[in-house]
Amino acid sequence: MAFFKRKQNTQFEGEGLVLFNEVQEAMKVEKVLKAAGYAVKLVAPPPELRKGCDLAVAINLVEQPGIERTLKQSDVAYVSISPLNIATSELLEIVRVTDFGRWVMVKAGNMKLTFEKESGVIVNTSGGGCPDIPLLHIELLDKKLEEASRPRDNSYTLCALMLDRALERAIEMVQEDK
Amino acid sequence: MLLIAGTVPIKGLPLTTGSVSRDGDYLAVNGRQIPCTQGTGTMIGSALATTEYLGLEAPQVLVVGDDGQGNGSRQMYRYLIDNAGKLTPEVLALHYCLPDISLTRGLCTAIKKCSRRPRLVADAASMYAAKAADLASEFDIFTPDATEMAFLADPNATHPAYISRHLFDTDIARTPQLVAEAYRQNSAAEVLLIKGAIDYIAREGEIITRINDPDVPALEAIGGTGDTITGLVAALLYAGLEPHEAAIIAARANRMAGRYARVTPATRVREIISHFHQVFREHLCQWSGVCYAKGENDNG
Repeated sequence: MAFFKRKQNTQFEGEGLVLFNEVQEAMKVEKVLKAAGYAVKLVAPPPELRKGCDLAVAINLVEQPGIERTLKQSDVAYVSISPLNIATSELLEIVRVTDFGRWVMVKAGNMKLTFEKESGVIVNTSGGGCPDIPLLHIELLDKKLEEASRPRDNSYTLCALMLDRALERAIEMVQEDK
Repeated sequence: MLLIAGTVPIKGLPLTTGSVSRDGDYLAVNGRQIPCTQGTGTMIGSALATTEYLGLEAPQVLVVGDDGQGNGSRQMYRYLIDNAGKLTPEVLALHYCLPDISLTRGLCTAIKKCSRRPRLVADAASMYAAKAADLASEFDIFTPDATEMAFLADPNATHPAYISRHLFDTDIARTPQLVAEAYRQNSAAEVLLIKGAIDYIAREGEIITRINDPDVPALEAIGGTGDTITGLVAALLYAGLEPHEAAIIAARANRMAGRYARVTPATRVREIISHFHQVFREHLCQWSGVCYAKGENDNG
């Protein structure tokens, strides 16, 4: 992988898409390509390919050969790489914080995660509607923020990705406080 | 029959159908235990508390395990498509699943062939799929939160994670504009119950009621407090209320149960459900004009 390590692009251009059957595969590919130094972004696939809860990775199409080689070496699954000729929507990046005094609620997209300030323990998660969310709810409750398993590592849906962003921000807040 | 369909957080649970009952802190369906935690379990628990109080038949449920990869969700949709004509529920409430546009279309087509059209309720990803499939207007009630309302109003979004920034940033006071936009695009059910600091009830494009009392801000942080509302709505529809009446009473009952439970952001949702009977006893007669259940305070 180090052979393909390259300087991070300063400006993201897009113009190409890596398409997937599963959300989880898109998340893995985003991680692999970022680690290899590519500027990539998770986006909604074109409308005619959408199932309603899926994800694509926007790339600079000029980099397609190198990206294909990196993906092949990394043994990650994808359907195809295609030019972006239809407008895509960007994933929501906004995170909001609500202070409840003893507790803090962090909201990313449609997902919310609440933790106790003093202990850093997750006391609730809420929102969402995809099937892995109730599982994550059970798994995350009563865990310390920094010890909780990351939703993006073992889940499959956009709701889980948003919950991961809420958890990530909560961890940052606790670390900033230390 | 009130039929509730959704996925549950039990890996490998096969498609399971039957009447639901209580089993300690769990729900029991056809010999299987279902946790009464965030998601379909909470919705079923809330509906069951309502039917118990009103002396109605317990909800029939269709549940299946799904870890997020969608296999259980697809089984659920296919079962409903194949059996809609035989089941003929009076109310069908759809909840957590992996949204699938083509299977949602198949289900709506199957329902149209039923001898009697059921009332249709959708929350969670079932609502996402209905909107993405351009079939929102086939439904009687959606129960979105504020973010999901922005999703319904966004013509390009197929999931709340993709809504436009300017819609996500929208102040709750602009909810009526989002409601109007969603109806204009045919992306709303006949009635919307928008859950938030203020609960809005909309019917056919217009806000008909705003509910903000009692004010219990911690409810937003508690996983399952939207699911309780959807369960209440489904059971109240089954009891014979009109969709907007069911929505109004559900919103009020959920807030009042939160107050009675003295909730904090760390409260678990089952503590709220356990107060529904008290809420009904003290308020349902006044709110609904339906005062037949034993023990109600008909003085309001």
